[in-house]
Amino acid sequence: MAQLSDTWTITIANQGSGRFSVDAQRPLLDTLEEHGVDLPYGCRYGGCITCAAKLTAGAVDQAEQVALNNRQIANGYVVLCVARPTSDCTLEVGVDSHDKLYRNPFLDPLEPHELKPDIATPIGES
Amino acid sequence: MASAADAEATCCGPGYASPDDAMTAPAEKLLYTVALYTGTGIQKPDYLATVDADPESSTYSKVIHRLEMPGIGDELHHTGWNACSSCHDDGSMSRNYLLLPGVRSNNIYVVDTATDPKAPSLHTIIDGDEIKEKTNLSGPHTVHCLGSEIIISFLGDANGEAPGGYLHVNEDFEIVGRWENSMGDIPYGYDFWYQPRHNVMISSEWAAPNTFMPGFDLEEVGHLKYGRRLHVWDFEKREPIQTMYLGEDGLLPLEVKFHHNPDSTHGFCCAALSSNVIHFWQDDEGGEWKWEKTVDVENELHPEWPIPLPGVMSALLVSMDDKYLYVNNWLHGDMRQYDITDPHNPVLTGQVWIGGLLGKAPEVNGVEVAGGPQMFQLSLDGKRLYVTTSLFSTWDNQFYPEIRTKGGVMVMIDCDVENGGMSINEDFIVDFGQEPNGPSRCHETRYPGGDCTSDIWL
Ligand code: FES
Repeated sequence: MAQLSDTWTITIANQGSGRFSVDAQRPLLDTLEEHGVDLPYGCRYGGCITCAAKLTAGAVDQAEQVALNNRQIANGYVVLCVARPTSDCTLEVGVDSHDKLYRNPFLDPLEPHELKPDIATPIGES
Repeated sequence: MASAADAEATCCGPGYASPDDAMTAPAEKLLYTVALYTGTGIQKPDYLATVDADPESSTYSKVIHRLEMPGIGDELHHTGWNACSSCHDDGSMSRNYLLLPGVRSNNIYVVDTATDPKAPSLHTIIDGDEIKEKTNLSGPHTVHCLGSEIIISFLGDANGEAPGGYLHVNEDFEIVGRWENSMGDIPYGYDFWYQPRHNVMISSEWAAPNTFMPGFDLEEVGHLKYGRRLHVWDFEKREPIQTMYLGEDGLLPLEVKFHHNPDSTHGFCCAALSSNVIHFWQDDEGGEWKWEKTVDVENELHPEWPIPLPGVMSALLVSMDDKYLYVNNWLHGDMRQYDITDPHNPVLTGQVWIGGLLGKAPEVNGVEVAGGPQMFQLSLDGKRLYVTTSLFSTWDNQFYPEIRTKGGVMVMIDCDVENGGMSINEDFIVDFGQEPNGPSRCHETRYPGGDCTSDIWL
């Protein structure tokens, strides 16, 4: 369990890399932008996936997001416009981190538990 | 009612007195197409590209101007004019502003194309947050003018959940409010077209923004997260009056077009995932609206994939004389021309291949194509069809990941309007892979003088 903290340290592992101290209460898109990190975005409310980044260490709270399906979440994706850090984190950001974000659904179908959280079948239920 | 000759003599509003009149207009010399960086990895704004379409010009088939939006991440998509032939009798109106909605940002950009048609400029912005606040709408799509005012379909509420509704904007581009009086039990929105002489509007269904914006999960179709109905509206009362349930024949019914002839009740919709053309019509004024499937493109087996590949018929267009219907199959890679002289019995008269996943045309005019035929616009005389290859950034990224480095292309197809038939014009190709800021993706195209998907006659 992460300790309570006002700030966490975010390490950006790609795109020139960098380490930034950010407010724990605010979305990572806002705080990283203020540090000058150039990030993609679209809707800014967690619905469109444009700002997706890959979390390779640490944890975030992204309960507000409605864009990611469970497979994308299992692959480490977070949407920065609503994700707030709950520990120190390491992120890969931008489209360079999207190698596993997009799939051709005719080539690679989702299992029932891999759908978006609101319609996925919980693992173990059939 | 004034005769056509009287109208010619007295009016000087936008557009043309009739579809026949529109067909005799001078050929288009400029094209406007939106071009995207959203979702491409290039941190630049989307822009409106001006393409030179004058074969006599030294910059023919090139992008000659780029109007950048003020910020990144809009996802420009469809566009529409402030006025069309429905205001032809109103000398105080002119077609001088193109509206560019950003699907992801919710902003609507109003672009002045009249002051310098080659170099359009930003006139004003209808702010996306203000639209959410005042009307509880997000995910803008189709723009139609409505006399001197404008309505725009939105696919979601302010939180990106369906069904959304219609934004009403006045001629000064101020928010009036919601246009519709009721959405009835409509679950989803997308495109719409209206035919005033029959007091009718037909709307179609894609999905909630939160469903389609992140990409296409095929499995969500079975969970009823995507549409399968058409809706008939009482246009004056601004409320839906009949549902046409299309079922498996009409999965993802997207673009809706009526005949241009304002007396006709015949219209068409393309069901993208079913890859069918749906024909709808009304036999007697005031009676039920009917529908039938008139074209059914079979899924194709791909040697390495477990699930057969649908065509994905995402767009459709009717020639100004109502003789030909054009449809695409974005994943298969073909554009088709059907003779719809009898709208119940379309006859396939032309087909060409541009990109696609079946490997039939990986290259066109020396340019490698990533994507397949997607949006298209036809010249008023019906002879030149301009086709672009990107659908929506996230969907492009799923099906055609190489579009990231190759960008989109615009191709021109020569259409034989006498005998039917299509062929790719060898002198025209615009490679958006070569754009100065890196590969971008082109989408909907319009012409300054009106085109085959803008004008409605009262
Ligand atoms: S910007 Fe749309 S999900 Fe983050």
